[in-house]
Amino acid sequence: MAEQQKTKTTATKSTKTAGKVRPIVKKMYLRAQEAAAEGRPIAYGMVASQYEEILRAMDITPIWTENYAALTAAKQVAEPYITKAEAEGFSNVLCKYAMVGIGFDAIRAETGKIPEGAPDGGMAQPTMLLGSSAVCDPRFKWYQTLGRYMDTPIHCIDVVYPNSNHFTLEMRDYYVKYQTEQFKELVNFLEKTTGTKMDWERLDHIMDIADETIQVWWDAYQLRKATPCPMPSQDHFSCMVPAYYLLGEQEALDFYRELHDELKERVDNKVGAVENEKYRLLWGGGLPPWHTLSIFNYFESLGAVFTIETSYHPPEPLEPMGKDVHPLKRLSSRVVDRAMKAQARAKEGCGDSRVQQILDLLKEYNNVGMMMHQARSCRAMSLGQIHFKNMVQEHIKVPTMFMESDIVDVRDYSEAQTKMQVDAFVDAVESYAQSLN
Amino acid sequence: MVTSENTKMNGLERAKQLSKNRGLRAKELRSQGRKIIGYLCSYAPLEFFTALDLVPHRIMGSVGEPIIKADAYLEPIACPFVRSCLDKALKDDYDFLDGVVFPHSCDNVQHLSSIWNYYLKPELYYFLNVPHMTEPSSFEFFKSELTAFKKYLEDFAGKELTDQALLEAIKLHNKNRALLRELNALRKQDTPLISGAELLQTMVATMVLPADEETGLIESVIEEVKNRPPKDSDEDRPRIMIYGCEIDSPEFMQMVEDSGASVVMDDLCTGTRGYWEGVDETGDPVEAIANRYLDKLRCPRTYRVSPGTHEADIANRFEYLKEYAEEFDVNGAILYIIRYCDTQEFDAPDVRDYLQSIGLPVLHIEDDYTLAGIEGLRTRVQAFVEMIV
Repeated sequence: MAEQQKTKTTATKSTKTAGKVRPIVKKMYLRAQEAAAEGRPIAYGMVASQYEEILRAMDITPIWTENYAALTAAKQVAEPYITKAEAEGFSNVLCKYAMVGIGFDAIRAETGKIPEGAPDGGMAQPTMLLGSSAVCDPRFKWYQTLGRYMDTPIHCIDVVYPNSNHFTLEMRDYYVKYQTEQFKELVNFLEKTTGTKMDWERLDHIMDIADETIQVWWDAYQLRKATPCPMPSQDHFSCMVPAYYLLGEQEALDFYRELHDELKERVDNKVGAVENEKYRLLWGGGLPPWHTLSIFNYFESLGAVFTIETSYHPPEPLEPMGKDVHPLKRLSSRVVDRAMKAQARAKEGCGDSRVQQILDLLKEYNNVGMMMHQARSCRAMSLGQIHFKNMVQEHIKVPTMFMESDIVDVRDYSEAQTKMQVDAFVDAVESYAQSLN
Repeated sequence: MVTSENTKMNGLERAKQLSKNRGLRAKELRSQGRKIIGYLCSYAPLEFFTALDLVPHRIMGSVGEPIIKADAYLEPIACPFVRSCLDKALKDDYDFLDGVVFPHSCDNVQHLSSIWNYYLKPELYYFLNVPHMTEPSSFEFFKSELTAFKKYLEDFAGKELTDQALLEAIKLHNKNRALLRELNALRKQDTPLISGAELLQTMVATMVLPADEETGLIESVIEEVKNRPPKDSDEDRPRIMIYGCEIDSPEFMQMVEDSGASVVMDDLCTGTRGYWEGVDETGDPVEAIANRYLDKLRCPRTYRVSPGTHEADIANRFEYLKEYAEEFDVNGAILYIIRYCDTQEFDAPDVRDYLQSIGLPVLHIEDDYTLAGIEGLRTRVQAFVEMIV
């Protein structure tokens, strides 16, 4: 299905701050390459595993392998890695982030060097692999299988969310306890592997920066409620990078301060992401099609702007915990309490925290349409979308489009078909918006 | 009316009936006032149900039956077995269930659980969080989850689940597991006394019966197969082990056996995984249940801590397959992987390479559970069998 005549596939950004992300990404891979050259510890890691601050506190340079797969997609060079993983016997339906990573490391193991033409100089050889069960199963299975290509120390952790409908406040204690133990075992592994002791005060300080970063990021995104919307989703899919990949660093905090200031200025001066904003849309589910983010610009050409998104949405800030709380318990409580907060809100509303988030964002950001991305290789974020849409429709009959493609694999994408679908969707949004007036 | 009582011609015939008409006995029991609890996958603690006089009923799909209703609720990239289960439920094939329990075995089951609950509105619904890790803290956590679940079930059943009742249930399920191992061992002979298809039908039947009735069924099957007239010698037929997850219908086994092989061993959720290991009968029963389900069940959804090198990791994860192969004199293995079963898909290349490294030829099949392309599979299996011969 891949189109032969593609021109620009990355999205044109609206804000100046979003334009600063690409150099940050380049620097991330450069840092790891420098660490490798100097013999410092490097970890392959899974984003949002809640251990970001732990790595920083121990001077371990992370490589966020999912991000690298997305980078290869954006650069339209993912296919050779996927093909290599397929040749190794891995199914074509597996997570394409994992397929890119497996293919990359299989090639490196075979040739003894970073694959030729790898974007941003490639992923440096890790000295440890840190999987997790946060979000989906491939996030520990992927690293487990990398043993085929490297005898690198590996440690995986559980990240448990209280997602049972029978979750009670009494159960919180053992959830927090387990999460704390999981982090403790991770720290033990890191100390053993690096020969460095954790500096707990430093971790506490890094978490302070992280908490402040989340708060500023959250505040900045509240500004996107303005009409016209000052920042679209294609900018978000860049601007989430510092929060997810540099969390706990001053650079990330500074980035969001700058973003906040820019959005404030735009709102004050009524500068919108699109010149004549006609329709406000919600990115309601699924990871983005990294191979063709330019689809957002197509929406813009029709006067439609994505004002907010559920994917990589900033976590709602929590009340700060007392200084006497051990940092690992602080981290664990963050995991559990965020989920509990979302559940509490859902109990007051539709009953499902994921759907409640959609309903809230539709309302708060004044959206008149919703798009969801059904990525063929991403079960974790794509399954349930039909159900979510069904539930949303019980509350509000907002037009919804399911875009069918993949997070990485451009072979699962048809630009012509998608654009036809977008045209029809925007027509439906137009009718719906008129019906509201 | 056809009832399970008048289909007791013999063990195998009854097993066949029950494997085809899985709700038969459950409906009878329900009409007598028993509560029937459906569960997905191998991680539901069956002993809890039995101890509380609830009837566990394994939810399975329907091979060959087109998906009609599930499309409106669950995406086509979901595990086709899971989709088939939901489709059957939406067609009211599971209308005899009083409740459903979904252990968090994998992403697919997790997503199915909330969808099932929302649209089918069972009287009892529970999502049991099963950790993926196997650190000491994981067992402690799982024990806490099981304790919370136990409390919930007690409220539902309206009675206390005592340690004594739980121990008795553990012993009963262990007895059934031992009987199934005894039955399975009848495949060790040069000419196996029971075929792979027959054993699978028996397994499926046991999963839709209350534990006390399982015992009689398995005993009757053992007795029957031991005493039936000897078959022609199977000595020249390759002895195959099937590796995979949910095969809940005999067609695939039958096709392999029709292709000139004997299916003598399996590593399936609907096979040995259910009965190879029991629950420790000493000490705290909830802790013993946590240990059995989290540690002893060999599903790729559970992460095993790596002992160090890749070689050691692979041995740690898959050496039991070598033991199976040696004990059952296996000549070749077929990996039957259901598409979109991520954890199994990730393990498949390692399993393939490991089995080959111990000298077993391997056929790696990725299929969509429905067996819609069984004729194509037959050609591949026949070629594989011929290669081994």
